[in-house]
Amino acid sequence: MIRLKNIYKAYDDLVVLKDFNIDFEDEKITALLGPSGCGKTTLLNIIAGLEAYQSGTIEGLADKTFSYIFQEDRLLPWATVEGNIRFVLETRYDEETIRTILNKYIEMVGLEDYRTYYPNQLSGGMKQRVAIARAFAYPSDILLMDEAFKGLDMELKIGLIQSFLALWKKDRRRVIMVTHDINEAMDIAHDIYILGGRPLEIKEKRAGKNK
Amino acid sequence: MRPSTIPNNKKIARPLIILFWLGVWGGVSLLINREIYLPSPIRTLRAFIELSTTAEFWSSIAMTFIRVAIGFLVSCLAGVILGILCGLNRFLYDAFNPLAITIKSTPVMSVIIIALIWFQSGQVPIFVCFLMCFPVIWTNVVQGVKQVDKRLLQMAKVYKVDRWHILKGIYIPSLTPYLMAGIITSLGFGWKVTVAAEVLSSPKYSIGGHLYNAKVYLESPELFAWTSVVIVLSFAFEYLFKRIAANMTNHSH
Repeated sequence: MIRLKNIYKAYDDLVVLKDFNIDFEDEKITALLGPSGCGKTTLLNIIAGLEAYQSGTIEGLADKTFSYIFQEDRLLPWATVEGNIRFVLETRYDEETIRTILNKYIEMVGLEDYRTYYPNQLSGGMKQRVAIARAFAYPSDILLMDEAFKGLDMELKIGLIQSFLALWKKDRRRVIMVTHDINEAMDIAHDIYILGGRPLEIKEKRAGKNK
Repeated sequence: MRPSTIPNNKKIARPLIILFWLGVWGGVSLLINREIYLPSPIRTLRAFIELSTTAEFWSSIAMTFIRVAIGFLVSCLAGVILGILCGLNRFLYDAFNPLAITIKSTPVMSVIIIALIWFQSGQVPIFVCFLMCFPVIWTNVVQGVKQVDKRLLQMAKVYKVDRWHILKGIYIPSLTPYLMAGIITSLGFGWKVTVAAEVLSSPKYSIGGHLYNAKVYLESPELFAWTSVVIVLSFAFEYLFKRIAANMTNHSH
């Protein structure tokens, strides 16, 4: 269980989080739903350790590793599909292990035929698929997603959500996702926190359709 | 005109343009009619052919080439290492920047004369080449490091990628186009300053030394022949590196 207690975060005079408390359960997908610009991404970045917070405590994050699917694909433009996934594995694995992991996850997202393609040769949906494969290929305890399916057309989005859920079922880990799309949250998450206001607060907690 | 016909036209036009300027050169030299002021292209070519039969000619080119190569490679190496360090560290950048600006604004002749005092004749051109190329490469590498996509660095941070792999996977590829631009700019420059330094330091085998002798003995055709050697070599290198640069940056945009 990850527990955020009394988190306070402000940018100069703008207080984004104040006395903010939230729990995330193990092996569950939790969605943080709220309007754009309400501070959801800040919350995610605080959990990931990318942004500092002024006060409060976070429990259950010691020695935890993260994967992060960003709003943009954040792929290395000069590396192939393989090279991009390899980039996050090289630091911790030997060549043989990397090969095995690469094969497994590239196949899982259906990009076997595109291993040696560069990002500029792939469609937007395929690039996001690479980002998803990278996130799962990395041995993380917690997977963070920030509007990972935003800006894609409906059909593509449904396809990507399905492949995401298929991947998750084979490789269950705790997921915290941020979205402003209620349907997306309902389809993917077990728990949904509806957030809003400034400073940010939990308006409501709901169960998603994913059981 | 369809775009596909343009490269073809260009291929035909280029030799014609070169031929045109050679014609102008020939015409002017006919008008002046004094070999000592302006030898004709044909006279220059003859001087070139005569020179090329001597072993001295080839060893001189080889030695000048080696000097350019050493000066240039050292400036690349130093430029890349210091450029990355200064790009990453504000303090180092502030410390080095005045030095780079000073070197850039120092007249080449002053550098050569100072080098003549400090070094032996064969080393002077190498040092001058290094000192003139280094700030250009350094500046470009610093700029490249500063332009690195912060979002990619953030991604690498989340995935706990170590420094070495971040350097290799993010910094080096994103500064490569900047480095290549710096290399191409400084390479042409490197040839010119190396030969200029050789003129004054006159090492045993050197293009610059021959330029100096040609001047002393008023052998204008030889002077022009040696000059064209420098021009051709400089062009050849620029072309070579442009090809390499095009290959290396193929996929980044």
